[in-house]
Parts: sequence; structure tokens; C-alpha cells
Amino acid sequence: MPQRFRFLDLKVNDAYTNMAVDEAITKARGEGKVPDTLRFYMWKPSAVTLGYFQSVEDEVNLEALNRFGFNLNRRISGGGAVLNSETGEITYSVILKEDDPRVSTDPIESYHLLCQGIIDALNVLGIKADFKPINDIVVVGKKISGNAQIRRYGAVLHHGTLLVDFDAKQMFGALKISKEKLSDKMIQQAEERITTIRRLLGRQIGFPEVRDALEKGYRKALNAELVKSELTPYEQELVKQFRERYASRAWIYRR
Amino acid sequence: MDIQEVAAVKRFEYKVPGGKLLRAKLEIENGRIMSLQLSGDFFMEPETDLEELESKLTGFKAEPAAHVEATVVSFFTSHKTRMTGASPKDFAYVINQAIKA
Repeated sequence: MPQRFRFLDLKVNDAYTNMAVDEAITKARGEGKVPDTLRFYMWKPSAVTLGYFQSVEDEVNLEALNRFGFNLNRRISGGGAVLNSETGEITYSVILKEDDPRVSTDPIESYHLLCQGIIDALNVLGIKADFKPINDIVVVGKKISGNAQIRRYGAVLHHGTLLVDFDAKQMFGALKISKEKLSDKMIQQAEERITTIRRLLGRQIGFPEVRDALEKGYRKALNAELVKSELTPYEQELVKQFRERYASRAWIYRR
Repeated sequence: MDIQEVAAVKRFEYKVPGGKLLRAKLEIENGRIMSLQLSGDFFMEPETDLEELESKLTGFKAEPAAHVEATVVSFFTSHKTRMTGASPKDFAYVINQAIKA
């Protein structure tokens, strides 16, 4: 039998609101106040989003960030820095109860399960993608999606980004790429590690088509019945509170 | 200004094979760790454990390396810290390498 999910359809917000919404849903889900939720979202303006444990100094070229007019943002989840480009990607989150039998206690298995919606979505578009532990999705070895999970408030938040298009100048201008990381992968050019939907399809696919594929992909992967809805008043109240923290210098520059 | 008086920030960066990137930045004075910042793209829960470890090691003797390692490993073990992409020994390794840097 399909499992019911609340579905929050594609909306555009700034980085701090986007992070606050993910955390608000996670808290409300953990408290049993809202159902399992799937959310699609985009960003305006673009933002560099750091993993919880990353340091600004090591990851971000602030001069370029300011020149491009990007926000600087920090997640509650770990993992690596990404450019959440307003024209180049769709972001998604899946929120379940922590004790949901579908989420394994083994982190890699949990990542694989919750990444499957993206793999199925890419398949809908005719792209064969694979899960690459720990938290990536790759197409012929090149990364197209990065993901992060955190268990908090009695719930699991899985969020990630799917690359539709890519501006190397922006991404590698704003992000500092570690030499150690590159040498480990034996690749000289950081750009060679990444691919996008538009590059793979060889056409300027629009965001509505990608969004439709994502919906189909998650419906299949989670055997989900998606019920379109909105944030509850309780969640909206939490968003206001949390947004302040995410936008604060103390949070962004904590490392 | 006499730069000899300012403790230089020592750094070490380590990509765990098949795992994540770890960084340690620290300052040593009179054989003790005076400041320590760990960072990277690993996953850790509860996330406050990292800050707690940093405070615990601040003021701590920088040598011998085996003692630093034992302290780091027993900290994470006793806190039952969950981590993905790095192990307690990897954290001990970057700290000890930064001390030697």
C-alpha cells in the first residue's frame, strides 16, 4: 500500500528561510504534529551553503561571494559546501520519524534509500545514475547530487541538491576546493568531477520538467502517495524563530 | 612587533580514504594546546560533541602523541558519538599531525 506523504511543492526562498523551513518541519515531525513530508525548493539569491562543521575561512572565497551577490549560509547537517544556485539546481528534503522502519540505523543504507528518489527521477529523464557512498549520486562517476542527513528532535532530515546547470566560474570562484580532496580522487580539474542534467541531456531542459521528474521519482522510490499541502501555522511560527538564527553572524561564522 | 611572541597557527588537513576531509588548526604555547579548531565535511551526532572535545583539549599537553590519541578516542567512545566519514582515530591523527606541523 502506498505511504502518504505531505508534499510541499517547489517554492523559492532565500537561504535562511529555506534552512529554517527544513528545521521547522523536522521539529514538527519529531513531535508528531505533521506527517512525513517531501519538500522541493529553490533559492534566491544564490547561496554558498556550508556543512555544519566546515570553517568559512577554509571553504569560501568571500571576495568572490560578495562580487556575485551570493548569501553565505550554514546548514544544521554535516557534509560539504555547495553552491545553491538560483538558476542551476533544485533542492529537496525528506523528513521522517527517526524510528521509521524505512530509515535504517546504518547511515549508508539510510542515505541510499533516501537518495533513490533522485536516482529514479534521473531515470525518468533517461539518465542512469548511481548512489555513491557516503552521500553522493553520480552519473558515469561524476557527481550530480550531494546529500546530507541529520537526526534531530526525534526525526530524520534528509536534504540534498540536484544539479540542473552549472557555472564553473561561479562555483569555483566562490568555493575553495581542497587540494587534499582533489589529489585523493586523482583528478586535476575540479570541474571534471561534476555533471548536470542539461549537460547530460544536451538540451536546455526547464525546471518544471525536472520538478515533474522529481515528483515521479520520489513517488516510485518511496512508494508514496503525495498529498499537496502547506506548512502549518505552528511550523510557520518556528520558521520565524529559526530564520533569525540562520541569518545571524554568530551562526554563519561559528567555524 | 616581535613575531616570536605570537604563537603561530599550525594546520593539518587529511582526507580519510573512502571518507571525508578533516582539518585541525591549533596553537601551542609552552607545550600546551592553547586553541584548537576542528572542521571538515564529515557527519557527527550529536554535533555538540565536537565543540566539547575542542574545549577539553584546550590547555591540554601537546605531547606525547599517544596520550592525545588515547584522550580523543576515549572521549568519542564514552560519548557514544556517531560519525560518518571519519573515525575517532582519524581525529586524533589530524590533531597530532597539526601539533607536529
